Amino acid sequence: MAAPTDVIPRRPTLLFIVVLALLFILMSLSTRTRYVGETRTMFERAVMVLFSPVPKTVNWIGGTASDMYHGYLDMRRSVSENNDLHRKVADLTTENLKLRQSETDLRRLRSLLGYSEQFGMQTSMAQAIMLDTSTRFKSIILDRGSNSGIEVNDAIVNANGLIGRVVLTTKDMSKVQLIVDSNSSVGSLVERTRRQGVIRGDGANGLQMYDVPSLADVQEGDAVLSAGIDGIYPKGIPIGVVTKAEKGQELFKTIHIRPSVDFGSVEEVIVIHTRKIPNDVVRYAP
Amino acid sequence: MRWLRFAIGLLIALTLHSLLDSFFPNALAFFNPYVILVVYYSMGGNILGAIIAGVFAGFVQDAFSGAIFGLHAFSLTVCAYAVAYVNSRLVLRGTLAFGACLAGAVVMNELVIYLLVIILLKQKVEMFEQGLIVKTIFTLLFGMLVYQLLLLFLREEPIAATQRPAGW
Repeated sequence: MAAPTDVIPRRPTLLFIVVLALLFILMSLSTRTRYVGETRTMFERAVMVLFSPVPKTVNWIGGTASDMYHGYLDMRRSVSENNDLHRKVADLTTENLKLRQSETDLRRLRSLLGYSEQFGMQTSMAQAIMLDTSTRFKSIILDRGSNSGIEVNDAIVNANGLIGRVVLTTKDMSKVQLIVDSNSSVGSLVERTRRQGVIRGDGANGLQMYDVPSLADVQEGDAVLSAGIDGIYPKGIPIGVVTKAEKGQELFKTIHIRPSVDFGSVEEVIVIHTRKIPNDVVRYAP
Repeated sequence: MRWLRFAIGLLIALTLHSLLDSFFPNALAFFNPYVILVVYYSMGGNILGAIIAGVFAGFVQDAFSGAIFGLHAFSLTVCAYAVAYVNSRLVLRGTLAFGACLAGAVVMNELVIYLLVIILLKQKVEMFEQGLIVKTIFTLLFGMLVYQLLLLFLREEPIAATQRPAGW
């Protein structure tokens, strides 16, 4: 005997009604105990405990993601700040170097200025822009020429001593023959004994003093100055220091001198506009 | 398989619930993921399974919301029964049918809650009509989006009949 067909559809409906009734009772109970501070029903707590990992996990993931995001933002900010600081350090280092350079320049220019005031002649400043001391012919090029009043045979000095003389000028440049050039001659004297001689370049960044008699009193360490007898270089400019003085093969001593100027580091120089010897006086010179 | 899908869906709904609570408090006033889940399951036409699904989903929603415990279980069970009952007789399939069932379920769910609150708590739900409209629209939009995604992902009709039509 088959079950009546109209009974089966009623089963879920019956169940539905029973479930609703139970839920209504549950809600009523819940309503009674539902006031502030009241613990929830055991069933509710059980459901919460059962599913609590989900909100906890979501919360943990959210918190971690938030931390990571903020960490990332902080890291980006730190990187940007670090780059800025690096840039600032580089800028400050450059500025510091410039200031140091300026301070050195200022000191050097002050000493040059003080030195130039010693001469009773007109002077001007110039900058060495090219330097050739590698060959036998040693010269430097200055950034000023005839437009600045520079003429051939003007003496060139710096704070350390004598550098050379102008041998060629253009409007805005000058060529200077260094005293270490083997074709250069400078009238000189030994400061201690006032013994005079002629200094020439030895062709190897050194100097030699000629025409000093074997009996003259010249010793190692003696300072040598310009004698002011050649019509080019003023008197009293330091040239160098005697490094070796010995008896030569003939009547004269062989004297080696170390220049007081380091020609490899010449920058600013003083141009001494030497008083020119009038032609008629030159004509009667011996 | 359908129960496994339901369990996964319940976990996703709870995750969504937690996320919305964490980042957009009161967002559930405009959107209810549990209704979508219950309607999706109930459209299989199995009334018994739908009742159980409604009770479970409602309990989970009640446990993690401030409502009276059993309120959402009651309302969702009513919705589940109604949807399953209709689908046991008319096999409704497709996005539009799902949307229609979902919209009806949301309205029914809200009405049941409204009545229960009045009966049990003697309180009136403020701005019920506006809330109902907004909730229906947002839940409907999200539900249909989920349905389309399931369609795309499963490459078959997401809702399989679990009960032959008019079999009960």
